[in-house]
Amino acid sequence: MNANLRFWLGAAALGLALVAGLRLLGNDYGYFAGYFVLQYVVLAGAWNILGGYAGYVNFGAAGFMAAGAYSAIVVRQWLGWDLIPGIFAAAVVAGLLGLGTGYLTLRLKGVYFSIATLCLAVVLQTLVVNWDYVGGSRGAYIIHARDIPPFNSYSEMLFIVMLALAIITTGIGRAVEMSRLGRGLQAIRDNERAAEAVGVPTLRLKLVATTLCGALMGVAGAPLPYYSGYLNPEAAFSLAYAVNAIAMPLIGGAGTWAGPVIGAVLLASLQQAATVTISSALNLWIVGWMLVIFVAVAPRGILGWFRKRT
Amino acid sequence: MQNISRRDFGRLALASAVAGAGVSAGVFPALAQSANPIRIGFSMSLSGGLAGNGRAALAAQQIWASDVNAKGGLLGRPVQLVFYDDQTSGGQVPAIYTKLLDVDKVDLVTSPYATAMIAPAMPVVMQRQMCFVTILGAGVNTTFKYDRHFNMNVVGDNMKETFAKGFLDIAGTLEPKPRSIAILAVDNDFAQRAAESARFLARQRGMRVVYDRSYPPSTVDFTPTMRAVQAARPDLIYIASYPPDSNGILRAASELRISAQMFGGGMVGPQLAAFQAQLGPILNNLVNWDIFSVEPTMNFPGVAEFLTKYREVAAKEQTDVLGNYIPPYAYAQMQVVEQAVKRVGKIDQAALAADMHSQVFDTIIGPVTFSSTGEWAHERNLLVQFQGITDGDLERYKRPGAKVILYPPNLKSGTPRAPYGTPA
Repeated sequence: MNANLRFWLGAAALGLALVAGLRLLGNDYGYFAGYFVLQYVVLAGAWNILGGYAGYVNFGAAGFMAAGAYSAIVVRQWLGWDLIPGIFAAAVVAGLLGLGTGYLTLRLKGVYFSIATLCLAVVLQTLVVNWDYVGGSRGAYIIHARDIPPFNSYSEMLFIVMLALAIITTGIGRAVEMSRLGRGLQAIRDNERAAEAVGVPTLRLKLVATTLCGALMGVAGAPLPYYSGYLNPEAAFSLAYAVNAIAMPLIGGAGTWAGPVIGAVLLASLQQAATVTISSALNLWIVGWMLVIFVAVAPRGILGWFRKRT
Repeated sequence: MQNISRRDFGRLALASAVAGAGVSAGVFPALAQSANPIRIGFSMSLSGGLAGNGRAALAAQQIWASDVNAKGGLLGRPVQLVFYDDQTSGGQVPAIYTKLLDVDKVDLVTSPYATAMIAPAMPVVMQRQMCFVTILGAGVNTTFKYDRHFNMNVVGDNMKETFAKGFLDIAGTLEPKPRSIAILAVDNDFAQRAAESARFLARQRGMRVVYDRSYPPSTVDFTPTMRAVQAARPDLIYIASYPPDSNGILRAASELRISAQMFGGGMVGPQLAAFQAQLGPILNNLVNWDIFSVEPTMNFPGVAEFLTKYREVAAKEQTDVLGNYIPPYAYAQMQVVEQAVKRVGKIDQAALAADMHSQVFDTIIGPVTFSSTGEWAHERNLLVQFQGITDGDLERYKRPGAKVILYPPNLKSGTPRAPYGTPA
């Protein structure tokens, strides 16, 4: 069987198994916890396209994610459209934002590029705080229907949407890795000047990567206001998104399509489990230690660690 | 990506199983618990930006639970609090409330502290039609319009027309009569509503608004801002700020020797012991919004005993050592639940909501009644003035006289002193 077909069939089967498993479990908490983990699968997968393959570290994940979330809010307030059109709008807005940011900042390298992306999040947050149409500093409310047939509950629908987005993001990451684009980005990561000298169109590839990365991060954020029913700038631009978007691919193994999935599932599950078990400041302490241990023991992530040993 | 061998796959599967076991332990702790207590669930900010107030509220709620259990429990059953840390992140709240209701199967839910944490819990709570007593939210139910939501907050239904009324009423008694006001507010929900009220009421009274600006929450240096306020030469300075900025604003005002007939308004921070210890005499003559003060006019039955118990545990729990801000309200929040359950005689969410809409609750912060929207039927915004503060000694805040109530008239315990900016 074709490898691509095998991937998509496998992903679809896994997705169906997850939905069936959670239906059997029969409570909404599974959907909410699953959503929490899957949003990070999307975010980490998006970060990996630019950060993992091209080696450009984006600290502005929270900014792109919030751009997606607020695009969904604008589409709803302005046109009365619901979640799915909101996701498309988020992809377009955050993708264009990625393209613009890339065009302006990709002449910067290393830490200077990272600082520029961090600044983008600050600029966007200031914009949103002063934009009353989307609630400004007071935040925006989204009132949704309690049930949405044929789904069992609204949370099940949100989970399935996020599951589909996670599968699509992972598929896009895999397609990028296998394509000329991915090989070009890897060449840029290894030595940008050498890549350019041998004819890799570096600026064009980087622009494609920033657009794709931005669009997928926006997509990860679009369902957020529907998930929480309320979104204020502090929650949308939370540092946790930016930190996790970097930490998860690094722990799983950056520069591979499966790395962000493994990292996101592991770290987000641990965070969710710590929230409802330890439930004190200690859970942040544990996550912090996990990062330190991985950086020390497996600097190339879980996948890198397994490969080294075999 | 390189191919993963079968042995690698086995290792990955083992790692996933270990991680999965950790998650399952989190999902099903209810299985390990026994007895038949009445379980009250909530999330609380025990880490992150709101942890200071969250931990203080939790300590108060735990005191309430032990008080109730010492008296034989509720409906003859012991009370058990089931709570999780939301890390001051609204994104954690929906999952926590779903877990509380669907997995832990708590009998009742109450809220975390403040609007940004309460709002994300609302859709989950509404879907399961639970009665929801919240603490210090601001206008959350204006959007949701949920008839089983009740908010323990003094601001009431109409913040715009009432929040700054006390400040301007007190100003109206000063001689010479103040004619201009400067308004400075942080860009967040509560402060913007407070500033809106000050703006609206000042204009209504024919006062000139000579300065009206907002600043982003990330501001750290307030010297330029306060210099601009000073340059406008206002008679009154109305500030609506949050804890980190309140400190910076008051320090900048002190360094610039800013003086005004009245200074203060809706600052959050000076209510807390840490601020009172740090700022000492800088607080002197500040006229500020508050919700509780240990003045004789607020010595409601039970509050002194509660504060004694709270202060015993506060040091150990590393929360606000005085407990003069949120803790009495957190205790009263649980008293509302307790009294409704006792009157109804069973856990029936519809009956509890009906009881809360119709009855008066005798709490340690006084009698409380709720309006049709679930806010307090009668607002009770206090305006207090720090008087005779010479240093950061916190003992004085345990006695009347340090934080004198100037408004509302029925709780008034002293007379205003002006101007702000004169040494004690």
